[in-house]
Amino acid sequence: MKHKWLTKAGFMLATVLALAMFLPACNGDTTDPTTTAPPTTAAPMEFTVNLGGEPAQIDPNLASWAAERSVIGLVFEGLLGFNQDLTLKAVVADAIPTVANGGISADGKTYTFKIKTAATWSDGTKVTAQQFEYSIKRMLNPDLAAEYASFYWIIKGGEAYYSAVSATATEKATLKAAVGVTAVDASTLRITLERSSPTFLQLMALWPVYPVREDVITANGATWTEAGKYLGNGPYILKEWVHQDHMTFTPNTNYWGTKPKLTKITYKMITDINAAFAAYKNNELDITAPPGGTEKTVLADPVLSKEVVRYAELVTFAMQFNVTAAPFDNVKVRQAFSAAIDRSIYIDQIRNGVGQVALSWIPPGMPGYDPAANQYGFNPTKAKQLLAEAGYPNAVGLPTVKFQYANTGSNPQLAEFLQEQLRVNLGVTLVLEPMESKAFSQMVNEEKHTWAFFGWGADYPDPDNWLPEIFGTGGGVNHTLYSSAAFDAKMAQAMAELDNTKRLAFWAEAQKIALEDVPMVTLFHRERFVLVKPWVKGLKTTGMDGQIAGDQFYNEVYIQK
Amino acid sequence: MTKYVAKRIMWMLVTMLFVTFITFSLMHLVPGGPWDREKTLPPAVVEALNAKYGLDEPFFVQYGNYIWNAVQGDLGISYIYQDRNITDIIAQGLPKTALLGGVAFLLAILIGIPLGMAAALKQNTLIDYTSVGFATVFASIPGFIFGIFLIVIFSVMLHWLPTGGWGTPQHLIMPAIALAALPAAYTARITRASMLEVVRQDYIRTARAKGLRERTILLRHTLRNALIPVVTISGPELAALISGSFIIEQVFAIPGIGRLFVQGVFQRDYSLIMGTIIFYAFAIAVVNLIVDILYGVIDPRIRYD
Repeated sequence: MKHKWLTKAGFMLATVLALAMFLPACNGDTTDPTTTAPPTTAAPMEFTVNLGGEPAQIDPNLASWAAERSVIGLVFEGLLGFNQDLTLKAVVADAIPTVANGGISADGKTYTFKIKTAATWSDGTKVTAQQFEYSIKRMLNPDLAAEYASFYWIIKGGEAYYSAVSATATEKATLKAAVGVTAVDASTLRITLERSSPTFLQLMALWPVYPVREDVITANGATWTEAGKYLGNGPYILKEWVHQDHMTFTPNTNYWGTKPKLTKITYKMITDINAAFAAYKNNELDITAPPGGTEKTVLADPVLSKEVVRYAELVTFAMQFNVTAAPFDNVKVRQAFSAAIDRSIYIDQIRNGVGQVALSWIPPGMPGYDPAANQYGFNPTKAKQLLAEAGYPNAVGLPTVKFQYANTGSNPQLAEFLQEQLRVNLGVTLVLEPMESKAFSQMVNEEKHTWAFFGWGADYPDPDNWLPEIFGTGGGVNHTLYSSAAFDAKMAQAMAELDNTKRLAFWAEAQKIALEDVPMVTLFHRERFVLVKPWVKGLKTTGMDGQIAGDQFYNEVYIQK
Repeated sequence: MTKYVAKRIMWMLVTMLFVTFITFSLMHLVPGGPWDREKTLPPAVVEALNAKYGLDEPFFVQYGNYIWNAVQGDLGISYIYQDRNITDIIAQGLPKTALLGGVAFLLAILIGIPLGMAAALKQNTLIDYTSVGFATVFASIPGFIFGIFLIVIFSVMLHWLPTGGWGTPQHLIMPAIALAALPAAYTARITRASMLEVVRQDYIRTARAKGLRERTILLRHTLRNALIPVVTISGPELAALISGSFIIEQVFAIPGIGRLFVQGVFQRDYSLIMGTIIFYAFAIAVVNLIVDILYGVIDPRIRYD
């Protein structure tokens, strides 16, 4: 056939094209050092980690998610901050205000912060009290609609200003002027509260009240958070932001504090955990979490097992009842369910041994942690007895019970585990209701659930952040609809008590009261299980790390290959 | 022809309006809104957020406002990326998705057509069986599974290519191949079938009888006619490549529109969903229009007047 040449050519072209796609990488092209270069001793201090995706936004006043905080923490710092043990430290403030040093008024309502004279922005200008005043008032502006603003409603006039959504511009201006935040002079900030608060200083260590620059925001509008415009006062500056792909940070040469050792930090935005794990193995990432369920394999791996870093997080997971709906309106049923679940099996088999059995709502590492607060730990005999006392011997007559959860991650395995535990230990048939995550959240927020999976992570390390909203009558996140006069009374005492020892004792008692009534079955405290390359030195982890392990102290990290 | 194109464009706009309305309605019907999350927001915060995004207005006012702003080029601000507008977000993602889709499309054509031709011209030989075998395998493996295989082999085992991300030509290699595999296989099969049908036609026999050179017969008579079904499928194929990039972009961490869309849906970011849907609807409509116009160029029997 005369067209033989064409046949051959076609076939070869197809084959060659398919193969040729790989050639650029095979011929020694080294334009992308992160993919090919093996670790060398002469390597610069560059550090690459995975942020897990594009941060929603990185405006400190607006941010709320862990990934955003991982960025903000590099570029900004507040008056106060947390040490590695999560105690408070003065950062931009020259001291932590106390009654003794005159920083807190005798009635506990007025706080005065003095600003360090050395504190500067990355452009070299001084950090002033006016910038903090601007930032806090901006965060409370209803038009900005900052999600964390409610934390600061304790500031005088804060709630009134934020709630004036439909007020006129003049009315808003008046309300803004009435907010109790004033720059007395360039280095003195005075904040007046509605009432005294033992945890206000912890709130002042959080990102929503970090300083932002009015001139920068006015000049750039919504784009002020882009690289090159995003002006901060922290140890690093945002050098580059390729949206949805990566961010790079370089040291802020004008930083007042300990100079960062890393010459460059790259935050990749890999959303797929398996892809991130592959990137780690390919030396493209210095830290990653292995995909869930592979932890035991990782621990058995001779190389990877040496790179494992694990530590407790201030996170608790539980299954919350709707205590107003039968059969869970009966406290004995709830107690029976709690006693029927062997949490250690869950940790070992579903979570691959990562995490800690939770019989306390407040997690370890936080004041108020009480490993025996929930007295209905695994005890199948007691569980059966409690169910019989509730009027359902051997589960006879018990109405259908359902468990709702977002159908993501390892939640389906959790649901099946619960189903099996209740079947074996109580003779109960649990009906599972998996849902899409937003639909699930809406259902729980509307309290239409019967028994639902629930988790909580610390905004700040205090029971004040863990109990009132969740167990207090009418609390914003109290979707169990639990209501106890005894708990509310103890909560009121704790929230008014300025003596820290007494306050924490009140909270411990309050937690005990709530858990005795089992509005939720505490399940496990989360543990972070990550892999860190051996050349990463100086990593300091905390129970409140953001998206990436150790991200609170990256100015102390260095590379030693 | 001009009249035909004008009419098609008019219908395109009607379709787009329909698509936006359906999407807008569905978004509001799906349970769970942008502010639903485990850490419930206080009512005053929800009120402030609703006011900021105009969600406190009645449904039809919201839709009307959206369309009015959209025709003026303003697709609103994102609910997730609160300080960024959708037009900018799409503009940043579009070149990446377009480049990935374009390269994958070219690969699919450049591999698929010659492979299909070779198989047809060497029917029932080893070349045919190999080509058909390849095509069947790649048509059966989902792109993302193939992508993961590529990552394991070329990144994790051989360390030749980056696992994901964007920026250098190397970053494009594996995702483009993973994305092209299915359409290349499909193109090969269609080309083979079509070639086999055309070479048996009377006019090919006539051409041979007239003593035309084999090369002329093949290029001018066989290939041109055999390509009509290939062009027909190339439109939907290109559209499928653009939308198929959802998962590939996720697997290879490519900052394109597909990934944005997936995030938008999970986060109930209404404006991001609307923006990306408008983009996809527009892209698919334009691709289909171009394919219909191309018919006339390839097949002289088709006339639009």
